[in-house]
Amino acid sequence: MSATAIANDLTAFEVADLTGAQAEPASISVSNVAKTYPISFQRVRQAIQRKCLHPVEALSGVSFEVRQGEIFGLIGPNGAGKTTLTKIIATMVQPTSGTVSVHGYDSVFDEEQVRLHVGLASAEERSFYWRISVRQNLMFFARLYGMSDTEALRRISDLVELFNMGDYEHRRFGELSTGNKQRMSVMRALIADPPVLLLDEPTRSLDPVAAATMRSVIRALVEQDRPVSILLTSHNLSEVEELCSRVAILSGGQIRDVDTPKNLKAVETPTERVHITMRGLLPAEVELLLPHLDDLKLTIEGSEIIISFTRMERDDQLDLVLGRLHDNGATILALDFERTTLLDVIQGYQDNREGQDCGVSRC
Amino acid sequence: MLTADKLRTTYLGPKSAMANSAIAAAERTEVNAAARAAARSLLFFRRLRGFVSRDFALAISYRMDFFMRMLQTVIIVTALFFISYVFRGRVQGAPRQWDDPFAAWITGFALMSYFGCGFSSLANAIRSEQLQGTLENVLMSPIRVPTVIIASTAWEFLQASFFAFFYLFLAWCFFGVQYKGNLLLALIVIVLTAMVLQCVGILSASFTLVFKRGDPFGALLATGSFLFSGVLFPTQSLGRTFSIISCALPTTYGLDGVRRVLIEGQGWGQLRGTLTTLVLFLIALLPFALVLFDGALRRAKREGSLVQY
Repeated sequence: MSATAIANDLTAFEVADLTGAQAEPASISVSNVAKTYPISFQRVRQAIQRKCLHPVEALSGVSFEVRQGEIFGLIGPNGAGKTTLTKIIATMVQPTSGTVSVHGYDSVFDEEQVRLHVGLASAEERSFYWRISVRQNLMFFARLYGMSDTEALRRISDLVELFNMGDYEHRRFGELSTGNKQRMSVMRALIADPPVLLLDEPTRSLDPVAAATMRSVIRALVEQDRPVSILLTSHNLSEVEELCSRVAILSGGQIRDVDTPKNLKAVETPTERVHITMRGLLPAEVELLLPHLDDLKLTIEGSEIIISFTRMERDDQLDLVLGRLHDNGATILALDFERTTLLDVIQGYQDNREGQDCGVSRC
Repeated sequence: MLTADKLRTTYLGPKSAMANSAIAAAERTEVNAAARAAARSLLFFRRLRGFVSRDFALAISYRMDFFMRMLQTVIIVTALFFISYVFRGRVQGAPRQWDDPFAAWITGFALMSYFGCGFSSLANAIRSEQLQGTLENVLMSPIRVPTVIIASTAWEFLQASFFAFFYLFLAWCFFGVQYKGNLLLALIVIVLTAMVLQCVGILSASFTLVFKRGDPFGALLATGSFLFSGVLFPTQSLGRTFSIISCALPTTYGLDGVRRVLIEGQGWGQLRGTLTTLVLFLIALLPFALVLFDGALRRAKREGSLVQY
């Protein structure tokens, strides 16, 4: 068998196998990772500037696992350490302590193998060559992964079709809209068909239709025969809820919780706010009928009254209230529920942190 | 390790099942080793081609730049030709290669553009990737440090080779400079010198990775080489103090070697000293430069500053 034939038959992952790699289930394992950004030449700077400089602690004791074929969400406020964590997994930043492994390969000691298994789509526009075309850009990155021209062209054409970029294939990257540049970033991450994807706000600049398409592409990736494991970082919480089977909340460089979106919301506040729109009774009559309710609030809108109260999820309060109102001649016009969102959960953790920080003295 | 052939010759009699399986295992290992080596070389060439095609595409997106450089070369060669009339026959105490200053200057300028590429191409490539924001994405691919070094400077070297050849061609075609000697030998001296300078280039790039700007290696060596390695005047006219600097510069040996081959027509035997010196420079600098580059890359990753510029 000729060398060309061998190389043409090799996908990036087969090359890894040739180099003695062991096949492991596609997953990311982050164990007790800490990252402190050092101050370069700290002593020299302190001597010159005479300022008290402190290294920045971006992450501390971060541990979680992304299972094979899972979409795992990473959410948290700005500066929480999401990008640092993503870059550590992608081998672009080295952790100060702890270990990160992708498919069993250590991100520091087996960097090359980790890079073979990971595709990163960042929200950064400035990561392509603006003066060359979409196809030339993708071709360059495909060649970096060692793909043959035939294989690369086939893959590019599949991706162009999947992301509906046919009209732009021969356009310069710089001429693309922000949304299309965002799509290019995901296309590049998928070019070598990696088993692990790191997606940093994949729908940030997309219009609603394109965002929905992107979400369905992401879902399809985990449903295919060889499912992809995805770590999704996003500030779009409804998107995270829709796509992710589990979510980690990162705040102040620490993982505050890891669970399904449903459980996370339940842990934070297992209550919901109920709004009943009715007519046929006077506000005073309503207050007399429902004296036992928490946070009872009545809003009058013309002949209608909106009754708002808080209840524990799935308790019998709603049934009691509706029964009393109906028995006393009220007509129920509408029923709305205001449930806890992931935003409330993040805010809860952030409030806790700010509370803790107040007691910490600083240099 | 026992190879399959060795095992076959060891077991001359009827082979046992164990021997057969040992041979099969050895054959598999050899096939795998051969396949691995072949695949690795092919992957290297695919990546190299990727970089060269990208840089070519970027270069032709600035068409005027290329033609302006060609025009600039024509003007420099013509100017040097007329200036050389002033100095012809006036250079005293210099080797034969300076009998015709025009020929000496042309080889000097041609090779300095080539050597300058060695000094600065990698640092420039890294700086350019930092500014474009693509450095992280390039280094995110499963590409090794030596491949990055060779591949990201390949286009610059191709371009510099073209312009070096263009200098020599213009001088030969329009201004009557005659080149003699072994072209292959001249090429070996050029490649060897460029490899030594590439080591300095790797040091520059390491500095750029960590400190981003203000690289002292490239700047000092490029200026120093232009002044002290005999581009414009013979090193013999520098005096004792400056000739020490001249002796410490690899470009001095490279330029002298190429001129001795192309202008004086010297052969392998006469150039043994020059070649040995260049090889010694290479042996001393290459491991140091590679270790430093790797260290700089790790430092940038530790500091999270790869994307910064």
